[in-house]
Amino acid sequence: MLTFHEEIMVLLLHDENGTFLPVSEHTLNRALTGAVLMDLAFANRIDTDPERLVVIDTTPTGDPLLDRILARIAAETGSADSRTWIETLSAEEASSEQAGTIRMAALDRLVERGVLERREEKFLWVFRARRYPTIDGKVEQEAKKRIADVLFSEEIPDPRDVALICLVDSCNILQTIFSKREIDRVEPRIEQIRKMDLIGREMAGAIADIERAIAIAAAHTF
Amino acid sequence: MNIEERTGDSAVIVSLDGRLDGTTAPDVEKQVSAIVDRGDVRIVLDCDRMSYVSSAGLRVLLLCARKCQQGGGKLAIAGLQPECLSVLEMSGFHKIIECHETSEAALAAVS
Repeated sequence: MLTFHEEIMVLLLHDENGTFLPVSEHTLNRALTGAVLMDLAFANRIDTDPERLVVIDTTPTGDPLLDRILARIAAETGSADSRTWIETLSAEEASSEQAGTIRMAALDRLVERGVLERREEKFLWVFRARRYPTIDGKVEQEAKKRIADVLFSEEIPDPRDVALICLVDSCNILQTIFSKREIDRVEPRIEQIRKMDLIGREMAGAIADIERAIAIAAAHTF
Repeated sequence: MNIEERTGDSAVIVSLDGRLDGTTAPDVEKQVSAIVDRGDVRIVLDCDRMSYVSSAGLRVLLLCARKCQQGGGKLAIAGLQPECLSVLEMSGFHKIIECHETSEAALAAVS
């Protein structure tokens, strides 16, 4: 089974050419951080409520990235909520020392698992570009099917599917999977699902905050 | 958390006493799964003495309700304390899993 941060990377790729869908750096960092916290929560290492995020088990998961983040949270002596952790860890993810570590770890694992392949290409004879074409399309198709099954039914959803939909929604990927008419049809269901995962909810709030701040800054610039 | 089970005429009532969090949620899931697996798919979770629910607790409530639904039955919650009810309302769970003030009302809902 893929982790949430791996699944979201798969869904962010154009399968034909292996390039990424356009998602802002700030949004992606927060979404990937939220995905890692969801991975830790589903591995029963952390737990959350509206006021706090707590470590409940420091036993390593065996995934180096998750274990690094788990140790980072466990080392903090003060109390903080999920939103604060998403903002703190995503700022670290954006810092020069750790830039892109979550996404690179996810892509490396997906290449190892045989889901993607890594291709280095030159364009204009000088610039290098890295692409990740999909080798095993079943993983992406299966994730999209799970999302569709939840959105287009009234059945009680599986918590993993709820978390995945929160991630996909926060990166605006639903618009690449479904038509506008389909999304309009299931908008009440999307609205229902996006509230159901407490980490997903805080991640969406953190993304909305940063997008609002950027929009205000841009309005003052021009 | 103390988990007690009693079988009524129309459903199984599972009483939860204590905190439903990442430490206790696996036990609740295990107990409810065992009930569903033996064919009792109408379940009332009596949460009158449940003092706290975390995100891990919410996930287990969802899993239990889903398992009952998949078995052709239904799970309802009774007697939530105001703090727990507000967490379920904030996350919209009360629109997916029926929440009732009393066990009698919850029993009527699953029967």
